[in-house]
Amino acid sequence: MDLISSHPGNYIAIGENIHTTRVLLRKGKRIAGEDGAEVILYQAADGSARQLPIPDSYKSTQDYDEGRVKHVKIALAAAMRGAGAEAENGLDYLRALAHHQERAGATFLDINVDEFSLKTDEQKAAMQWLVGAVQNMSELPVSVDSSDVEVIRAGLEAYQSVNARPMLNSASLERPDALDLALAHNAEVVVTAAGEKGMPSGTAERVANASRMIDAALEKGLQLGDIHVDPLVFPISVDKDFGLHCLDAIRELRAKYGSEIHLTGGMSNVSFGIPGRRIVNDTFVILAVAAGADGGIIDPVLSSPSEIFAMDRESLGYRLAEDMLLGKDEHCKKYIRAWRKGEMKAGAAR
Amino acid sequence: MAELSDIANEFIRQEIKEFLERPEEIARNIELFARIRPAMQDIAAALIEGEDGDVDQLTKQALEEGIDALEIMDDGLIAGMGIVGIKFREALIFVPEVLACARAMKAGMNYIEPILSDSGVEPVAKVLMGTVKGDLHDIGKNLCIMMLRGSGFEVVDLGVDTSEDEFIDAIEEHRAGILGMSALLTTTMPNMAKTIEALIDADVRDDVMIMVGGAPVTQEFADDMGADGYGKDALSCVSLAKKLAGEKV
Repeated sequence: MDLISSHPGNYIAIGENIHTTRVLLRKGKRIAGEDGAEVILYQAADGSARQLPIPDSYKSTQDYDEGRVKHVKIALAAAMRGAGAEAENGLDYLRALAHHQERAGATFLDINVDEFSLKTDEQKAAMQWLVGAVQNMSELPVSVDSSDVEVIRAGLEAYQSVNARPMLNSASLERPDALDLALAHNAEVVVTAAGEKGMPSGTAERVANASRMIDAALEKGLQLGDIHVDPLVFPISVDKDFGLHCLDAIRELRAKYGSEIHLTGGMSNVSFGIPGRRIVNDTFVILAVAAGADGGIIDPVLSSPSEIFAMDRESLGYRLAEDMLLGKDEHCKKYIRAWRKGEMKAGAAR
Repeated sequence: MAELSDIANEFIRQEIKEFLERPEEIARNIELFARIRPAMQDIAAALIEGEDGDVDQLTKQALEEGIDALEIMDDGLIAGMGIVGIKFREALIFVPEVLACARAMKAGMNYIEPILSDSGVEPVAKVLMGTVKGDLHDIGKNLCIMMLRGSGFEVVDLGVDTSEDEFIDAIEEHRAGILGMSALLTTTMPNMAKTIEALIDADVRDDVMIMVGGAPVTQEFADDMGADGYGKDALSCVSLAKKLAGEKV
């Protein structure tokens, strides 16, 4: 089964870095300069070191006050609305985001502008603009991601399907009409295991909800290979069995639908609320693939698929993360204790 | 002025020394723990460590020894939770650890609650909690509910995808003092404002203090929509609810 661990290039990495929700910490390494005149440091697509200024308008936001910099949102606003050099700078930043993900092995570039504005019209305009811009920067197909079907529609309408089909992220029982949109735009589609009236509470409900969506998609004429199922990944910090709920659902869906369907998920959700998130995310990617997944919505620059699958599975870090994700570490106690002692770093050796 | 050495429990002394940084918080906690009796310090220490079995045992024992239920709640459980809140705010502890502390709190409150209600002591306040219409996310809201219940609040959980009418009906049915609304999506956050407008139209807005939270929500949005408060995480939700309960009385 596992043609991915040995060939990470087969992993369908839906790169999540062009999201307006992405945050850098003001006290972190990527922000330089004095209070009030800070810049975001980045490496451009050509490898040179560059800076994106944090505009004054951003400094009156609560995010900034509390030490957070929404760098993608800043770059998008500069690129879309800025004049001259400012627009060029924002565009260059976005180009770097696309380029680095492509080099790291991304299969799709997922684009989400939900936090660009609260107004649907502005979200739609931003999505349309960004889909066009990203298509000019990269050969990779775009995954149009929003919690609002209208914003997804705007993105798909702007997409030029010359080289590759787009992805629609996502459809679910609460918005099954997104399936028709996928068909109309010849898009592949992420279907989630969300229910009509709430999030699924265990493995069985995930499989049942996802199955209804898969069956509906097939009935409408989509192929198994067009469908990427997200069984929904919940934080292990909240309940020790949340990892298993997702992994077991992946196992059951793979057994039920065979080898053609794609199984994915937002892998970094699993580590919300605990420290040292990277090794936990990477370990969960490995466990999900072992259970039958062939892709994930991930940050491929932080950990590329080839780095993830080369992880030393004998290391203490991997073993503690695995135990925690498989429900064997109540309250994440052993994992957090080891993290505090600095023992997790051993697991990051690649 | 009390000194750190006036605190009997070594673990508590260590916690204050190691984890507290703001001078006013150090002074306040030294004053507090120096005043309270060692048995209560032991309960607070067990709670800070997230040991629900120990908190259960120590609370039962304290009650058998005739210590007042209110004293156990204030000087043991709530005093311990105060330290937990500071450590979480400073990112010195993490969500699973806070949840363990909340369970420990609950273990103690299981004894305390019935005694308080028998003797006519009301819960701190009654809180209605719901995720707004169109939004199915409830992990954050459920964390808030656990922490509120652990801190002596009575909570009615309205679940996810809560319509304006469901909020209005709940206000009329439960006579709660506080209404908490959650939204995780930028696309559903506007439904908080719409709900508040609907409460005004139904003439029940002034029956409750309204608090809001969720990933995209900020103080600014909370002010704009006319909420009474904003909490950025489960622990600020508790301190906010306490503040709003005070204002309501």
